[in-house]
Amino acid sequence: MKVKIKQWNAVAQWRWDTGNKDAADDEEGDVCGICRVPFEGCCPSCRVPGDDCPLIWGECSHVFHMHCLLKWIGTAASKQQCPMDRRPWATAERRVDNAPPPTT
Amino acid sequence: MASISSRRLAKELNEIHAQGCPVGIELKQADDFVTWRFSIEVMGESLYKGEKHLLQFRFDPSYPISSPAVQFVVEDGREAPIHPHVYSNGHICASILGNEWSPVLSVVAVCVTLQSMLASCKKKERPVDNDRYVKNAPDNPKKTRFHYDGPYLFLRYLPATATRD
Repeated sequence: MKVKIKQWNAVAQWRWDTGNKDAADDEEGDVCGICRVPFEGCCPSCRVPGDDCPLIWGECSHVFHMHCLLKWIGTAASKQQCPMDRRPWATAERRVDNAPPPTT
Repeated sequence: MASISSRRLAKELNEIHAQGCPVGIELKQADDFVTWRFSIEVMGESLYKGEKHLLQFRFDPSYPISSPAVQFVVEDGREAPIHPHVYSNGHICASILGNEWSPVLSVVAVCVTLQSMLASCKKKERPVDNDRYVKNAPDNPKKTRFHYDGPYLFLRYLPATATRD
């Protein structure tokens, strides 16, 4: 028997790599604490998820939609503190990740 | 486009309908995303045994970035609980409603915190400046700059990593 492929459709799925390994087990762990929308969705001010509505990581390891966090940090009430732990917000250069790098 | 507050509040409302409120807390009114009301009762032994108070939340369109205006309802014969941080006009002096508000808090978290504020009360009395405050108080408690003293830090509903110097 010979199979001839006439047509194929590619399907891709993406997720932000939040470094939260338990995210799959714990749906709550996968939403922005400010707007409660999943990280893979977009903040309430955006229409399209993805690079236009990125995430932001703090050095304290907490993650939010960037737009949500900036709205909070922009208020005097925030005292420039992380909403989760009230430590002074410092944006991490890159994702805070304690996992060892891939071996390949 | 729906405001930030209505999207977030719709999620909170769904959660309340799906999971119910913690014991002693009941949703009484949430017809819109402007004003919600809950009844609060302290369960078990406390100075407030048998009392049920009505707690009102008012949200502006930028909730949860801006804190909700929270107070006890004092109309139709209702009274605010007698507590050193609760004024007779229903206004509440609690740091999480003011300078310690965080957008990761929720309506239910505020209810639970205020419920435990009542539960841990040792003596039923009004704030010392009650009469003076009530005479001049603004309609919206958020316009008041409360001075937070007292033993209440109200941090318990933040994650365990919360620190305070």
